[in-house]
Amino acid sequence: MTFPVRLTLRCGPVSAVDLALFAAASGDHNPLHLDAEVARSAGFERPVVHGMLTMAYAARLFTQSFGAARVRSLQTRFVGVALLGDTIELEATLQRTEAGDAHYALRAYTTAGTELAAGTAQVAAAMP
Amino acid sequence: MIDRGRIGYTTPPSAVTIDAWRVQLFCRATGETDPSAWSPHAVVPPTFLKAMETEHYSSAALLTLLDVPLHGVLHAEQSFDHHAPVRIGDELQIERRIERIEDKKDGALTFITVDTNYRLAARLAARSRQVILVRNRLPST
Repeated sequence: MTFPVRLTLRCGPVSAVDLALFAAASGDHNPLHLDAEVARSAGFERPVVHGMLTMAYAARLFTQSFGAARVRSLQTRFVGVALLGDTIELEATLQRTEAGDAHYALRAYTTAGTELAAGTAQVAAAMP
Repeated sequence: MIDRGRIGYTTPPSAVTIDAWRVQLFCRATGETDPSAWSPHAVVPPTFLKAMETEHYSSAALLTLLDVPLHGVLHAEQSFDHHAPVRIGDELQIERRIERIEDKKDGALTFITVDTNYRLAARLAARSRQVILVRNRLPST
């Protein structure tokens, strides 16, 4: 099985509705993501996009190409913060294949150039 | 100073059933377009298990246990290792454990590491790790 060398996805701009919907879907109701006043008091200009929403977008790089069942692992380090209204770019680059599995390096950043997350993913060669 | 005595605290395991509506809401909220995600016994999206933690013992509840205000807390790292597919309709046994609490930058920051096990019929189906960043010197409101 050959794996694509590069996968990309653009999500957003992330709206207030997107953040409210994700709060409901994820059970993370931290007002940092929903309330501009709370975000400001925590040092952010606008409500903060859930890190887990960025990571869910990153997972789509793989589910759209391979399906959820083949994603063996996904790991991200959140290095920056996306804010309400930002557009998020996701990118995965094939590093190597090992025992048939693909190992990708991951990156998420805003179209304005703020780095959001770096990580890795392992995708199984075939349906487990 | 966060109580280090909580390192090793493990939540009592509880059973959580994965309802279709929950997965579909998650797919809608994240723009998941993989058509297989919408079938009746679909494998759940790779990061969906994090949402099921809140049915068991949320990170916000763990922070309350540690007496850490939610204000100023950020998500620093997250990982998932999937050992077996988890599907709509499955009943998961979930337990969470506080693995580490570490200060950095002279106590300005504290990192809390929480591991979560998801079992299907006593077999480990997935494991996740969350690292929570606490900004201790944020001006209070």
